[in-house]
Amino acid sequence: MSNKVVYYHGCFANYYNPDSGKALVSILKRNDIEIIVPEQKCCGMPMMANGNPAGAKKNFDFNARMLAEAAAPGYDIITSCPSCNMMLKREGLPFFDSKDARFISERIYDASEYIYKLYLEGKLNTNFGEIPLKVFYHNPCHLRVQNITDVPVALLRLIPGLEVVKVNTNCCGMGGSYGMKKINHERSVEIAQKLWNEIKAANVDAAVTECGGCGLQMAAGTGIRVIHPLVLLNDAYVKGDARKAA
Amino acid sequence: MANIPGLIVVEPSPEQSKHRAAGIFVRKEKRIEGESVKEHLRKIREDARSNNASLIEQLQKTLGKYDGVKITSAKDAKEAVSYIKQIADNTTLASINKSNIVVNELRPGLQAAGFKTYLRYYGEFNNFEEGKFQKKVEDYWSLPGMHGRNLVESFDKRHSITRLSSSGIKDYVAIMGVNAISAEDGTVYFLQHMSNITKDLQQAKKIILVVGIEKILKNKEDALFHTKSMGIYGLESILLDLIPHDIEKYDFESLPELSGENGQELHVIFYDNGRSELLKNGYSDLFLCIDCRACARQCPVGQHIFLDKGMVYSPKNYLLGSLQGWLPPVEVCLHCGRCQVECPVDIDIPTLIWKAQFEHYAEDGRSLKKKMLDDPELLAKLGGMTAPLSNWMVKLWIVKMMTQFFTGVHKDSTLPEFHRQTFRDWFKGGSHE
Repeated sequence: MSNKVVYYHGCFANYYNPDSGKALVSILKRNDIEIIVPEQKCCGMPMMANGNPAGAKKNFDFNARMLAEAAAPGYDIITSCPSCNMMLKREGLPFFDSKDARFISERIYDASEYIYKLYLEGKLNTNFGEIPLKVFYHNPCHLRVQNITDVPVALLRLIPGLEVVKVNTNCCGMGGSYGMKKINHERSVEIAQKLWNEIKAANVDAAVTECGGCGLQMAAGTGIRVIHPLVLLNDAYVKGDARKAA
Repeated sequence: MANIPGLIVVEPSPEQSKHRAAGIFVRKEKRIEGESVKEHLRKIREDARSNNASLIEQLQKTLGKYDGVKITSAKDAKEAVSYIKQIADNTTLASINKSNIVVNELRPGLQAAGFKTYLRYYGEFNNFEEGKFQKKVEDYWSLPGMHGRNLVESFDKRHSITRLSSSGIKDYVAIMGVNAISAEDGTVYFLQHMSNITKDLQQAKKIILVVGIEKILKNKEDALFHTKSMGIYGLESILLDLIPHDIEKYDFESLPELSGENGQELHVIFYDNGRSELLKNGYSDLFLCIDCRACARQCPVGQHIFLDKGMVYSPKNYLLGSLQGWLPPVEVCLHCGRCQVECPVDIDIPTLIWKAQFEHYAEDGRSLKKKMLDDPELLAKLGGMTAPLSNWMVKLWIVKMMTQFFTGVHKDSTLPEFHRQTFRDWFKGGSHE
């Protein structure tokens, strides 16, 4: 494992939830890993979903080139958005295949997956302070289908005091901008109902999920506070620092 | 006496003999590996795909040797329905099985041609109480815990019919999609939901077997394995799909028995309806499908779409229906990718759905609304530059209504919040150092 990683932040961490990106930088710093942030565009999945494969290809090729160049010395690539991760790892490949695309597909990790790998290798700084929270964890479809289901929960459970009361793996019905569209809105709400009921019944302090779209859907139906797991993990480090200082 | 190939009905064994049946299947008393079943199944299906033309030819020759079978080919639903209409004479009562070919592709045409179509097994639920239905189905099938995690084979050959009946027959036609058929000797395999298939094979005046050309396998062993696998992987989805609709209930038991010496007739239709096209136009992996509907169990939209069509739903059937033209172009998929997770033959349905969508938009163009939502990054840049004003604006009623009108984004949608300082700005600013 190298001391540098390439970070693909995508639109979500860049524009809508900069805190998740900042948290990742801070987490990796505490593990002596430097982050490289190359030029990048939207991963292209929204364009694919809106029937614009040409636009998606343009973005995808650009990202593949920039990421491959940055990761060329042998660095891993990490993302903090499940859909970007899926797009770069496999969704784009059948349509926009290239040498660069295959190269990045082979070395891309979801941030939770990467950090938990550090832990399994005994390399993770585990100086976590206590976060006394009861949380509901929602596993986004785009992590689930990449077989990343247990890892985020295992990572959260490293945080002292944090209790993962309920883990949900059903779809929230949002699907990026799918559920926002008028033609799908009603269907999206029907799908979400089960998840909303589960969240309400779980009686927790907050919900945790990696996906921005899932987060919006969960908050919209229940009013619950939704947190990215990286933010929680970084908070635990900050609490750990405070404990040490005391 | 007419001679016919064997008609084999496969059904779950009762609870008490589950483990014995498991032993019969794997030839030893132990649980079987899900992966080895998948591997074998994939091989069988790939053979059926690569040799389809020769298998069709072989099966036609094989069936030609049975004087009790009349065979025909239908290139589409219209041809199949017209053949069925012709051989049914004046009989308009049709019992159908819940095969996707019969329900999705033939039923509308049969009804238009004047047939009353009924799903025979609904008669099994004469005493069923509303709300307790699910439990009753589970009781009937004595639900073995087989799916993936804990694979114990409990499907067994339950009924074998080797000659047609000349007594006890009733005045209706049975139109049944077969689950698999052996090209080598013509043996036909069905996975039975209830006792419906067995009864139809024994009682219908005319038995019409609809053989989707992808259902032709090399020999009996392959066909049986294919049929059992359908039960293993699709059991839960099939159970969830057995919800009775009054409109499809009919009391076949009350039909009087026919007198006379004509006995039953057995017809086999080789049915294409775009299937051979799949082999050429980049969708050939759909040809590997065993129609188990395992993918349906994972699909978030499945329970909410095409309810009016009463179709046998699965993401694969949705895609196939779009390609065949009886469903609108694939637009309601939310691209979660979950369907692929369950597929026992690893069909990459998500990629095929993307492909179908791209082809559709390339041909028919895109709506302005779709174009407006094309570039979320541009929207985010604009919103970010004008934050927090933009966050205040998007909450205004008039802005919501205009957004809905121009972009198709629902007025009640919660939009993500814009930030003046992006992650990149922060990172470049060096404050993380």
